[in-house]
Formats: sequence, structure tokens, C-alpha cells
Amino acid sequence: MKDIPRFAATLTIVALIAAGSLAWVNEITKPKILIQQQKELKEALAYVLPGSKTGVIVPVKENRKIIYYMGYKDKKKKQFIGYAFLVLSKGYSSTIRTLVGMDSTGTIFAIRVLSQQETPGLGSRCQEIRNGETTPWWQKQFSGEKATNICVDKDGGQIQAITGATITSRAITNGISAKAKWLLKKIGRSQK
Amino acid sequence: MSIVKEFTKGIYESNPIFRIMLGLCPTLAVSSSVNNAIGMGAAVIFVLVSSNFIVSLIRKFVPSKIRIPIFISVIATFVTIVDLVMAAFFPALHKALGIFIPLIVVNCIILGRAEAFASKNNIILSIADGFGMGVGFLLALVIIATFREILGNGTWLGIPIFGNSFKPVLLMILPPGAFFTIGFLIGFFNWIEHRRLAHR
Repeated sequence: MKDIPRFAATLTIVALIAAGSLAWVNEITKPKILIQQQKELKEALAYVLPGSKTGVIVPVKENRKIIYYMGYKDKKKKQFIGYAFLVLSKGYSSTIRTLVGMDSTGTIFAIRVLSQQETPGLGSRCQEIRNGETTPWWQKQFSGEKATNICVDKDGGQIQAITGATITSRAITNGISAKAKWLLKKIGRSQK
Repeated sequence: MSIVKEFTKGIYESNPIFRIMLGLCPTLAVSSSVNNAIGMGAAVIFVLVSSNFIVSLIRKFVPSKIRIPIFISVIATFVTIVDLVMAAFFPALHKALGIFIPLIVVNCIILGRAEAFASKNNIILSIADGFGMGVGFLLALVIIATFREILGNGTWLGIPIFGNSFKPVLLMILPPGAFFTIGFLIGFFNWIEHRRLAHR
């Protein structure tokens, strides 16, 4: 087996070239990808807090991390629209990131699922847009509902789960409900 | 060894799904809608052609005994680079094809063609082979997806075919439906081949 040193050398060279090119491409693309994500978040915030385009959206931090956003119709922060918060749910095969906008009474303006890696054709349909429309059809039903009181139909609620994707639907729905309860409690406490 | 022949064999005679039966895992997952089928097929064509090209390019430097880990490294690295570049420079396209790109790494067709063809043939023929296999894969996916989407969702490419009274067969969109469809289609093509040879 005097080939072993030769094989080891060849494999090492291949691994070095592979790792090297991946590290290089990663460095080049990382800033651009980050900009994309921030752009998407900004668009999503404007979408879930209707009317905020003319005003301003302020992040609220705790321990240096953003825990929710407050949206205003005007730049002087006099006309309050509502809150926006990020929900991380454990889906069927991925962590689902959803942005939710709701008013101070807890009624949802709109939601936007930012990212997911659920099963293509089933759970992934939570982001599906029908021919001729502009927003995902499944997410529309959340608008107008009380964030703390939503459930999928299988659990006795009013949110219609995606056929064949109950776990994904339930994860998003329950995640929103739990986070909304947490946020309203936090705001209620801070107002005392 | 004509270029055209290497290209066309992947479409029918050596179709990767119906005849060689490679890449069935992603096929089952992605053939539930025609839209997904086209997306995956397009991505696979791109990766197959490029991977065959690179493998053919380095074939003289690869010791036979360690060729598999080297091919896999090449394919996985290349697919990851494609994924990152798409996410950074073509965000709209990446959103549309996004899920399919990482799925390609586990597609046996890529490694299968690298091993069976690109490692033993020149660059031009390898590209033709990759392109033909990719197109054959795309066509097979679209045929399977047509059955599954029409029966399982009442639509084709998202366009409703039947009226509101149509009750879709949910099973068709789930894995068992994929198995049934692929099984019947393979049987069908086997039968056609059998008749064709019997008539000679």
C-alpha cells in the first residue's frame, strides 16, 4: 500500500481547494446576503405595519437584542400604529421565521413568513403565491384575527391548516399566539 | 460516439428516472407540482452539465481508488457555491429555486454520471451527456408532476383544471402517490420497450 501517501496527498489537495474556494465565495457573498435579508425584513415590517411607510418603525431592545418593533404613522412618533414581532417556530423540518404586525389590542394587521425549509409542495405552501396574486394566500387569513386566540381548525380554531401540512400550519399559528401573549404581557407590565 | 447520440440517450432510452432509476428520492419529494418539477429540473441540468464538465476536466489527475470522495467533494462544493452566488447576486431566482439547490447534492444522478461517464470521456461528450440526462430528468419530473398535481390538487402549473366540485385525491400529493405514479410509469415504459423489441 505505497499508494497511501499519494492518495492522502491528492485528497488533501482536493479538500484544500474545496475548502478554500468555499471560504472565499462565502466571504464575498456574506455581506450581500446580509443586505438582502435586511432589505426583506424592512419590506416585511412596512407590510405588517400598514401606514408606517410615511412614519417610522422603532426597534425596542433588551440586552442589546431587538425584541419587538413599534410603528408610527408620522416621524414624530405621535400616531402609534402597532407592534411588530418575530416568531420562531419549530416546523416539521425547519425553524420557521414569521413577522407579525398587530395593534395594541392584539388584533393582527398581517403576517409574513420570512423563511422556512418545510416540505416542498406541502409545508412550503405557507409561502405559496397563486397565479395573478401578490401575497401568499395562506397567510392572508391571519389578518383581523386576535393574535392570542388563534388555533388551526383541527384544534378547534378558525385558521384553516394547509392540506397535508398540519404540523407546519400548527407551528406557525401556535408560535404567533404564544409570542403575542408574551408581548402583550410584557407591554402591560411596562405600562404599570 | 456522436455528440447528438450522447445527448438524446438521456431523454428516452437511458432516461435517469424511468430506465436507470437514479435520483428517485428528490423525484418523490419534488414531483408534487409541475412548477416545482420545472424548477428542480432546471437546477439539475445546470449542476449536471457543470459537474460533468469539471469531472471530465480533472479525470486524468484523479487516482481511481479515491475517485468517489473526490467526485463528491467536487459536486458538493460546486452546488454550495452556486447556492451562495445565487443568494447574493440573483435573490429573486434564488427565492424561486432556493429549496431545490441543496437537494441536488443528494441526487444520485450527478454522482452516477460523473462515475459512469464524465470520468471516462472527453469534455464535449461529457457536457452532452450531462445536458441530455438533465433534460430527461426534467421531462420525467414534469410527466410525474402532471399526474400528481392534476389528480391531487386539481391544477396544472397552478391553473385550475376542474371546477369547484372536484375533490382532489390528497394521496397523490403525499409520498405513496409518488410511488404509485412512478411505478405505473416505469411499468408503462417497460411495456412499450417490450413491444418495440418484440416487433423487431
